Amino acid sequence: CSRLHNRPTISPTLLLSNMYQRPDMATPGIDLHGQNMTPGKLQDHFEDFYEDLFEELNKYGELESLNVCDNLADHMVGNVYAQFREEEQAAAALQALSGRFYAGRPIIVDFSPVTDFREATCR
Amino acid sequence: RSRDRKSKRASGFDMAPPGAVVPGMLPSTAMNTSNSQSPLGQVAGMVPTVPGVF
Repeated sequence: CSRLHNRPTISPTLLLSNMYQRPDMATPGIDLHGQNMTPGKLQDHFEDFYEDLFEELNKYGELESLNVCDNLADHMVGNVYAQFREEEQAAAALQALSGRFYAGRPIIVDFSPVTDFREATCR
Repeated sequence: RSRDRKSKRASGFDMAPPGAVVPGMLPSTAMNTSNSQSPLGQVAGMVPTVPGVF
């Protein structure tokens, strides 16, 4: 994959790049403060993130799909793909999220060409 | 899942105001909040790449 991916000017799907960060990504099982991260804590952390995300994105339109990548590739790790029912809803969300922060980090958001996650793959 | 925990915590959205220097973000890039192909938002220590799709 060249990673030179198509960037549509409008799409029902948004890509929020590298938005989710596992608390134990540096050292498996240990968070950035040196505390143990049990599978239960990791699950709670992810669910808090997912809940925040859903509640925010749902303000701009009906979500068809909300996927978070659990992938080690640096260009995909923590990527969020949010598919709205309508392109206009995605556009409203993109405008609303641009320039904002999540958990102390800037939100990087763009349209994504992915509309069918079953078929999504590098070409 | 229980809704009790949610009610006790703040959302992660807008946790840091624009321009703030926060952990995990380089001070030199702290002011850049544009929607561009920026390395911001990537995992610290990783080589910046173009955010891609599958």
